Amino acid sequence: MLGFVVRRLLSSLIVLLLASFVVFAVFYLGPSNPARPVCEGAGGRCTPERLVAIEKQMGLDKPVLSAYGEFMGGIVKGREIDFGASAYDCTAPCLGVSYDTRNFVTDELKERIVPTILLAIGGSIVFLVVGVTTGILAASRRGSSTDRLLVSGSLLVSSIPYYLLCLIAWIFLTLQTNIFPATGYFPITENPLKTIGGLLLPSLVLGFATAPAYARYTRGQMVETLGDDFVRTASAKGLPRRRVLFRHALRAAIVPIVTIFGLDFGALLAGTIFTEAIFSIDGIGRWGLEALDSPLDLPVITATVLVGATFIVVSNLVVDIAYGFLDPRVRIG
Amino acid sequence: MTSAGTEALEARSDINPSTEPPAPKDIAGRSPTRIALARLAKDKVAVVCGLVLLLLVLAGLFAPVICNALNIYKDYSPGAPRASDVLDFDSYPLVGPPYYPFTWDHPLGVEPNTGYDNLALLLYGLRTSLFIAVLATVVSTVVGVTLGLVAGYAKGWVDSLLSFFIDFMLSFPFILGALALAPIITTRFGGNSETLGRAEFLSLVGVLVLFGWMGLARLVRGQVLSLREREFVQAAQVIGVPTRRILFKELLPNLVAPIVVSLSLALPAYVAAEAGLSFLGIGLSEGTSLGKTIASARGYYDTYPLYLWVPVGTIMVLVIALNLLGDSVRDAFDPKTRR
Repeated sequence: MLGFVVRRLLSSLIVLLLASFVVFAVFYLGPSNPARPVCEGAGGRCTPERLVAIEKQMGLDKPVLSAYGEFMGGIVKGREIDFGASAYDCTAPCLGVSYDTRNFVTDELKERIVPTILLAIGGSIVFLVVGVTTGILAASRRGSSTDRLLVSGSLLVSSIPYYLLCLIAWIFLTLQTNIFPATGYFPITENPLKTIGGLLLPSLVLGFATAPAYARYTRGQMVETLGDDFVRTASAKGLPRRRVLFRHALRAAIVPIVTIFGLDFGALLAGTIFTEAIFSIDGIGRWGLEALDSPLDLPVITATVLVGATFIVVSNLVVDIAYGFLDPRVRIG
Repeated sequence: MTSAGTEALEARSDINPSTEPPAPKDIAGRSPTRIALARLAKDKVAVVCGLVLLLLVLAGLFAPVICNALNIYKDYSPGAPRASDVLDFDSYPLVGPPYYPFTWDHPLGVEPNTGYDNLALLLYGLRTSLFIAVLATVVSTVVGVTLGLVAGYAKGWVDSLLSFFIDFMLSFPFILGALALAPIITTRFGGNSETLGRAEFLSLVGVLVLFGWMGLARLVRGQVLSLREREFVQAAQVIGVPTRRILFKELLPNLVAPIVVSLSLALPAYVAAEAGLSFLGIGLSEGTSLGKTIASARGYYDTYPLYLWVPVGTIMVLVIALNLLGDSVRDAFDPKTRR
């Protein structure tokens, strides 16, 4: 078991290192020059000589590998960042300094991740409750008209492009009818009620759009489990139907669903860009999108991609290891 | 998807599904592909979706012809009305909706701010969407199938390397990847709007392919892993058939069902992704795209609803029809479905 965990940890680490290097190198070797906005923003004319001087000061003339080493070193032990006129003492974990706001990316990241986490939790609650309940309902009445309605309904909902669902919900439910309060993120420390109000509709839309996948999955698992001997035994000894469904069948069927949920939650933490962009929630996804406006904010884009990849890799890892504990057959592979 | 599906296809299925004639009435000797197509023809949802799609594809395909016939324009090409002729000072249209009666000159009105014709934008947007989605589907299928075949057939380090690469690519968040690549393209080709348009088009297809081939590659690899051990492959190996021939003539025909299914489900995903990325402003900024139109029409939900809801409705119909058809295709190719 320990060997499995260690091997899995190592391979995740390699994936992350490789991913971070690819992201870093793509920007470092890419055509846009991070020194230019610094040079132009410093006041006065940006002459070619000045540009070269700033490039040298920012360390952009180094080969990509040593620059990457410096960047990674910054994450581990902090580093000094020179920005032409001003220098920053960036403490670990240092992801650089935003070209746009001149704040430390790490500090901004801490702020930006809160709404994304809240949204991921809110959405997960909705899609787990709605999806799993629908799936159980459909499976327990397999073949009936309720089952067919639920299955075709979930197929239809999951066919609609997600961002259009967001857009329609936003326009009809907050802008035109005011059924839901204005969406957005309001700091939780100031007014928790307002925070919940602002994230209510986005969570619901996110939840209902993701629920069909869970409904279909739960239904499949439950149909399989309901055919098993232990369920028949439970029914035969006279347990109430509800108890058989929830205590016996669902318990056996839920493990793979938890696995999928782990992966999905990691992906949600990586930033639900459409949700955040349409409902104007200042989370990770919207941050990355905003960083594309000129001047291009490279440290922010690098950080968002890196954090996103980290969440996905870590959730994969956690799920794999948890599965290894739950299911002895997995350990060998 | 269905391992049993390929087993059923074992017999003989090197028939190209697109050039397939309607299934004959006789019972004897029908290939699984034929059975699937016959099932599909009986599926009402599939037939309706197919007809809707045919209409949309024709509209996209003949967009230039239709626009010529109606004398409408998607840009300021020669012959197009000047913006000042069709727009008021507040940038709202002077002809057609929302403030003036319907006119045949602009059946869906004109776009605020630019004065382009909405129907022309819609038709060309449809063309772009379908073109990009089809191109991305074809390329990612070719890449996925080839890499999957190679990984599954070649044991040892080639397989390990390719499998690691597949897992590595799967750990990149797709939209964030697109987000990261967009500025690079824009900065490199930003000077010239024509080359920028072409570069964006290619990079969009590239991004969709880059993040879209892994699922199929994994699927094909899994299938090949089990097919590789079968007698007909061993027989081919023994009589000295070259590896490339074994891969593409012996193994590939057995993979028609999963490939067709994955193809038909990839298409709507790519249509939605193209419009979604353009909506976020990291897809096409030059050229016409339904996503781009929706993004600029967002603010007009109140004052000029037609401008917003027509492209939204079109994408929705297109993607839903493609998805439902894809689902029917999956059912039809699944030997476990009994009807």
